[in-house]
Amino acid sequence: MNTEQKRIIRVLFLLSIMFISLIVYLTYFQIFQAEKVKTSSYNKRPLGNEYVLRGSIYDRNETVLSYSTKADDQKQIRHYEYDNLYSHIIGYYDERYGTSGLEKSFNSTLTQSNIIDDVRNVFFEILDAFKVNEDKIPIKKESEGNSLILTIDHDLQKYSRKQLGNKKGSVVAINPQTGDILTMVNSPDFNPNNLRDSWENISTSENKPLINRSTEGLYTPGSIYKLITTTGALETPGVTTKFNCEGKINIGGYPLTDHRAHGEVDLSEALQESCNISFGQIGAQLGEEGLKDISQKFMFNTNIPFDINTKQSKFPTDGMDKAELGATGIGQGELLVTPLNMALMTSAIANNGRMMTPNLVQKVINTNGTVLKKSEPKVLSTVTTPEIANNITEMMTEVVNSGTGTNAQIKGIKVAGKTGTAQNPGEDHAWFVAFAPADNPRIAIAVLLENSGGTGGSNAAPLARNIMIEALNKYK
Amino acid sequence: MFKRLFSFKVPQNLLFLLNLLSLSLVILYNKSFDRLSIGVAVGLPLIIYISNLLLLKVSSGDHYLLLIVSMMMSLGILMIYRINPELGFKQVIWYMVGIITFYATYFIVKRITLWEKGMGLYIGLSFLLFLSTLIFGKTINGSTNWIKISGYSFQPSEIIKILFVFFLASYFVNRDKFENKYILSVIVYAHIGFLFIQRDLGSAMLFYMVFLVIFYVYENDRKFILLNLFSASLMAMLGYFAFSHVQVRVETWLNPWEDISGKGYQITQSLFAIAEGGFLGSGIGNGYPTFIPEVQTDFIFSAICEEMGVLTGIAVIMLFLILIYRGIKIALEQRNQFFRIVALGITATLGFQAFIILGGVTKLIPLTGVTLPFLSYGGSSLIMSFASLGVLQVASEYIYVEQEEDYEHGTEEDN
Repeated sequence: MNTEQKRIIRVLFLLSIMFISLIVYLTYFQIFQAEKVKTSSYNKRPLGNEYVLRGSIYDRNETVLSYSTKADDQKQIRHYEYDNLYSHIIGYYDERYGTSGLEKSFNSTLTQSNIIDDVRNVFFEILDAFKVNEDKIPIKKESEGNSLILTIDHDLQKYSRKQLGNKKGSVVAINPQTGDILTMVNSPDFNPNNLRDSWENISTSENKPLINRSTEGLYTPGSIYKLITTTGALETPGVTTKFNCEGKINIGGYPLTDHRAHGEVDLSEALQESCNISFGQIGAQLGEEGLKDISQKFMFNTNIPFDINTKQSKFPTDGMDKAELGATGIGQGELLVTPLNMALMTSAIANNGRMMTPNLVQKVINTNGTVLKKSEPKVLSTVTTPEIANNITEMMTEVVNSGTGTNAQIKGIKVAGKTGTAQNPGEDHAWFVAFAPADNPRIAIAVLLENSGGTGGSNAAPLARNIMIEALNKYK
Repeated sequence: MFKRLFSFKVPQNLLFLLNLLSLSLVILYNKSFDRLSIGVAVGLPLIIYISNLLLLKVSSGDHYLLLIVSMMMSLGILMIYRINPELGFKQVIWYMVGIITFYATYFIVKRITLWEKGMGLYIGLSFLLFLSTLIFGKTINGSTNWIKISGYSFQPSEIIKILFVFFLASYFVNRDKFENKYILSVIVYAHIGFLFIQRDLGSAMLFYMVFLVIFYVYENDRKFILLNLFSASLMAMLGYFAFSHVQVRVETWLNPWEDISGKGYQITQSLFAIAEGGFLGSGIGNGYPTFIPEVQTDFIFSAICEEMGVLTGIAVIMLFLILIYRGIKIALEQRNQFFRIVALGITATLGFQAFIILGGVTKLIPLTGVTLPFLSYGGSSLIMSFASLGVLQVASEYIYVEQEEDYEHGTEEDN
C-alpha cells in the first residue's frame, strides 16, 4: 500500500469516526436527555392522538368515572365525574399541564383506536375517491380509544374519602386474595376539572395535594413494622421471644421506653401491647441482614409493579449499629414506607403469607366491549409460610380483642389488626393496618393519618373499622 | 429469471417490499387516496426498479451505489409525502429527473476523456456562477444563494460543489506543469469567501473540509497543510468575533433553550421531534413533524426520527457510512489519478454534507443550513447529488490510463 492509499484510508477512518459519534450521541440523547427535553412547555405536541376520542374509565361495577367529549372546534374535553375523588388514581389530562396517574401510564391505551376502524375509514376514502359511495353509507371518520375498568369500588371509595375528611393522610384497601385495590384515597386532593384556575395554588401548596400519598408518600412506619419483625422472629430459629419488660431498656446506647412496664411477656403479648422493649431486642437479635432480608421479602427497596407510579419503601442499607437495630426493630430509625406497601404487607399475612401483585386496572376494553386485556391474580412475593402467617393472624386478632387496637372491633366479625404511632420530626403519624374476617379475609386495609398527633389505636383504628364494615356489608 | 424476480435475496425486491409496506402505511394514516398517492405509489417503485436494472446492464462498476441511494430516496420521499403529498409527488418527479441526470452524467463523463485538462474552465465557471449569484441572487432563509430563472429557483453552489472537486483533481493531476500552492490557496479561499458573503456558512464549511481532505492526501508540503489548518482556525475565530450571525449560530448551539421562541426555535423543535420519537418512533402519520419549520428540507432527518424512530435514523446514518465506504473503495482501486481524486472529493463532499446537517439538527454541532443528500426535498440539490453519483459511477469502472506506473510508485518522495 502506498502513501496515497494510506492517507485515503485515514480519511475513511475520520469519516467513520464522525458518523459513529453521531450514532453514539443520538443514542445517548435518547436515553438520557429525551425525557427531560419532552417536558418543555414549548413542545406543542398534544398528549396522545388528537384524532382518536380518548377512552373512558369505569369502576368495577361500570360506573363512569371519567370520559371525553368533542367540542365544536374538534377539541377534546376531558370530564371527571366525581371531581376530587379520583384525583390521584385517574389523575389529570391537560394540554398545558400534561398527564398524571392512570391518564399518564395508560395514555397510549386510552388513545389507541381499533385498527379495523382505521382500515374501514381508508376503505371508504377509496370508495369516495372513485365516486362509488355516493352518499349511500354514512362514513364515520371518528375512532374512539380503549376504555379502562378499574378494580376500585366507587361506593367504598366515596365512603372512605368521607371518613378521611379534612385530615391529612391516606387509606388503601385491598382484596388480599386477588390483589385488587378496592379503594385508594388521599387527603388533601384537588379537582382535575378546573386545573387552569387552581394550578398555581395546588402546585405551590405546602400540603402538596398533587402527591399520591398512598403510592408516593414515604412515612416512618412505627409499630406496624413490628409485624415484619415478628415474621422475622418466627422464621429465624433460636431467636429469644420471651422478655421481662421493665418499661425501659438501653440497647447499644439508645434508650427505648414503653408507657408502662409490661412485665413477663411472650411474643403474642408483646405484639398485643406493642412492647418496644421486646421488639427492640428482637431487632438486635435478628441483626442487619436478618431484618433486611425479611423486609425485602415484604418489598422494601424494590419497585412494586403497579398501574400508576410508586416509590420504593426504604430499608437503610448503609450499615447499622446495635442502637439503630433496636430502633429499626420497632419501626423507627431510618425506615420509610408507602401506605400501599403497608396494605400489601397486611394482605400478605391475611393471604397465608403470599403477597399478591396489586391491580388497579381490571380490564381494558375496546369500543365494542371486547376485553383486550384482563389482569389475573399473581403472587408477587411469598413472605412466609402459611403456618407462621396464621400464627401472626392469631396474634393480630388479640391486638384488636384486648390490645392496643380495641377501637377496630366489629360485632360478630373477627378482626386482625396492628396499631402504629410513628415518631418523626413533626407530630406523630397515626397508623392502623387490619384485615377482616380474620379466618377468611376479604379486605385488608392500611390507614395513615399524617402528623395527626394522636395514637394509631385512638385515631386511625376507628376509620379502618368503619370502612371495613362498609366493605363487608357489600361483599358478604 | 422468474425466480430472481421474486426472491428476497435480490436487494431490489427487498427495496420494493419496503416501499410497498411503507407507502400503504402512509396512505392509511394520511387518510387520503387520490391521484397524487397513485403517482407516488406507482412512480417510486418503478423508478427504483428500472434505474437499478438498467445499471446492471450498462455499467461494469459498482452496482451498490445506486442501490444505497434508492433506499435513501425511498425513506426521503416517504417522509416528504407524509408531510405534504403534493411535495412528495414533486419529489418523485425530481427523482426521475435525477435518474436521467445520473445516466446523462454517466455517459457524458465516460465518453469525454479530456477532464483533467479543464482546470481553467472549472475555475472560470465557478466564479461566473458566484458573481451571478451576487448580482441576481435572491435571499431565502437568510442566505443569498439562490438564483431564480423563469419561476424555478436553484442554488448555484450545488453546481460549484462538483466544479470545485474537478478543479482540485485537475490541479493535482497536472501539478508537474504548474504547481503553485499559493495560487491554489488563493483560489480556494476565494470560493469560501464568496460563500461567506452569501451567508451560506454550511457550504463554506463543507468546501473547506473537502479541500483539506484532498490537500491532506495529495499535497507534498506537509507543513503547509498545518499552516492552512492554523489559519483556518484563526479565520473561524475572527469570523466569530466580527460577524454577529456567526455568533448567533454558536450561541443557539450552546444554549438553544435560552431563546426558545426566537433563534432557538428550529433546533428545539427538532429536538422535541427526536425525543418524542423514541427508539421505535411514533409511527408514520402519528407524529407532528410539521411543527418544525423547513422540515422537508433541512430537518427531514428529525421527521424520520420522530415517526420512524431513532433506530431508523441510525439506519440512515449507516446508509451514508456504507456509501462513504463504497466511495473510498473506488478511490483506492481506481488507477486513473484524476478519477481517483474526483472519487475521493465526491465521497468527502457527500459525507461531510450529510454530517454537517445530521450533526446540526441533533445539536451535536452548530446548525448550518445544508440539505441532507438524497433525502431532503429540493430539485437542484437532488439533481446535482445525482450528477456527482454519476461521476462516481464512472470512477468505479476501469478507465484507460496512459502512465499506469505513476500510480504504482505513488508519491513516494513525501514519505
